[in-house]
Amino acid sequence: MSESFLRSTGRKVISRASAKELGAVNTLLVDVEQRRIAAVVIGRGKNAHLVEWAQISGFGPDAVMVVDEGALRPPADDREAAAIEGRLELVGKRVLSERGNELGQIGDLTFDAHTGALEDLLIGDLHVPAGSLLGSGSYAAVLDKSQEPS
Amino acid sequence: MKLLMTASQIRGLPVVTVRGGEDLAEVRDVIYDPEAGRLVGLTLNKRGFLAGRCREVLPAEAIHAVGQHAVMVLDESSLVAPEDAPGDVGRPATERNVLGNDVLTEGGTSLGKVTDLVLLVGSSGEVVGYQIDKAGGGLGYIPLPAQVSVSGVALVVPNLTGDFVQDDLVGLGAAVDEFRARLGLK
Repeated sequence: MSESFLRSTGRKVISRASAKELGAVNTLLVDVEQRRIAAVVIGRGKNAHLVEWAQISGFGPDAVMVVDEGALRPPADDREAAAIEGRLELVGKRVLSERGNELGQIGDLTFDAHTGALEDLLIGDLHVPAGSLLGSGSYAAVLDKSQEPS
Repeated sequence: MKLLMTASQIRGLPVVTVRGGEDLAEVRDVIYDPEAGRLVGLTLNKRGFLAGRCREVLPAEAIHAVGQHAVMVLDESSLVAPEDAPGDVGRPATERNVLGNDVLTEGGTSLGKVTDLVLLVGSSGEVVGYQIDKAGGGLGYIPLPAQVSVSGVALVVPNLTGDFVQDDLVGLGAAVDEFRARLGLK
């Protein structure tokens, strides 16, 4: 099933083991190279934690189920810390083609709720396959030239 | 139809990595070899509050693409120290400046003075023409043949060039291919 980044933020996160509510989805950490969701970020600021995609037992329409509370961990490196602060956020990021022309901004992205694989990036009215994403950083997300209007 | 921009429009553009989406620097100046009619590389400024000259330069060979909004490179390794750059990228450009040169046809007619370079957008920095201050007044654009003689004072171009003076970059973009075809270039 296809899931959207914007629709999934704010969704409650529940422990499968204890049925306790652990928080809400703040953002998703995307592995651009693998073009998949690497982790779910729960909570904000100092209370923010990550859950690896492998520790999620179900990314459902009403709740995100994690195996147990032990799956929550603090950020392990600079990249994860940056993700929690929203600095790696794909949604809202400027989009450049590899030819150096601006194509707009990422409005949303969709992913497979079972595997976490990225499906499409939404740029304005365009649905761009995630396979066109070459890289993303503090300045821009870069798409291959197939996405450039000729 | 080719999309073109002037060297002045390239100054200040961010230099962004394709693989990382990071802005490494911004374009300070365009280094050009007028005899070969090609870009040699770009000198750079730092980005942000610590703006100032960047020691590293970007050789033309390492440019992935020059676009309307950014100069793209593959990654950080594309920027090199001036002493490691091929050719003349690291050396000052004063002695090979084409700006201000008089554009003379082989027949001895002056078309005007060079005011800027024109590059092909989306390419790795191909120079396809010049912006000139026309002899009759106003700005014009001329396509660039493969070989020209250039002295630092004057630039000699084929007579045909006089028929291809354009009023704007859009016109030049449309005229470049026909000009080259007429000269027997590809």
